[in-house]
Amino acid sequence: MKTEELKNLILKSLEGEEPDPLIQKQLKEAGVDFSFSSDFSNKVFEKTFYAGKVLNRETDFLRSFSSAFYRIAITGIAAIILLVISIYISQGFISFDSFFGLNNAEEESIVCIMTGN
Amino acid sequence: MQKHGQNYRQADEMELVKASLEGDKNAFGEIVNRYKSMVARTVKGMLGDTVFAEDLGQEVFIKLFHSLPEFRGESKLSTYLQKIAVNITLNEIKRRKRFFSMFSHSDGSELHEYDIPDSESEEKKDARELVSKALQMIDPKFRIILAMRMLQGYSTMETAEILGLPVGTVLSRLSRGQEQMKKILKGL
Repeated sequence: MKTEELKNLILKSLEGEEPDPLIQKQLKEAGVDFSFSSDFSNKVFEKTFYAGKVLNRETDFLRSFSSAFYRIAITGIAAIILLVISIYISQGFISFDSFFGLNNAEEESIVCIMTGN
Repeated sequence: MQKHGQNYRQADEMELVKASLEGDKNAFGEIVNRYKSMVARTVKGMLGDTVFAEDLGQEVFIKLFHSLPEFRGESKLSTYLQKIAVNITLNEIKRRKRFFSMFSHSDGSELHEYDIPDSESEEKKDARELVSKALQMIDPKFRIILAMRMLQGYSTMETAEILGLPVGTVLSRLSRGQEQMKKILKGL
């Protein structure tokens, strides 16, 4: 089938509310069909009954990890923003010391804690 | 009742499911053989006629096997399997989009390794390549509708059931997908 004929057939197959069985048949005869390789079933068997469970878990784990990463990152950022807001509300200002709760600490007491003297 | 090792070619869906759940590998093998073409049309229609699509096709059946205990027979097994294929394929497309948007300005749609069998006429190979390329250039949410129609010959109602969409949405996406396809085919 010539390319232009094929293009027209593709577009015709998408017309109307319901598919036309004759056009479907013509498309298949023109080669518009997909299939798996001849050893597809064997590979499925191997993965399902022998290596399949482990492979599936690893693939599932990596996929879950990647989708969980975004959620964890967004939650972390939200937590930091809330912390900064609560420090500002309680202290009236934001500083490095206020962020770490060192505002009211005296140097000596920090040295005492760290050296034990 | 079929015994283990029996030929399941004439068995109905529920028999195959029951036997598979009882551990009969031949029964599950029959499920794979019966529906692999259907899954190939969905997966390759969405992802291209590639080696990677084969791997994903295998995943569809592995997922089916592990979710067979949840299959109640309220819909046809083919519909249930088709839903798994669609979900896995659409998730893969989203994953690629996220990955490629993080590291490049493309969405990966240009990464194709076509795996076309040798034992076929050039014309048929070209036809499949044309359809594959054209479909890859269409927005995934329209692409799935076009693939269901063009490659599977599903009615609007069947497509709506598989995708969990209202019939009106399927028709509207079909129409928009058709417009995109027209523009794309002009350039190919």
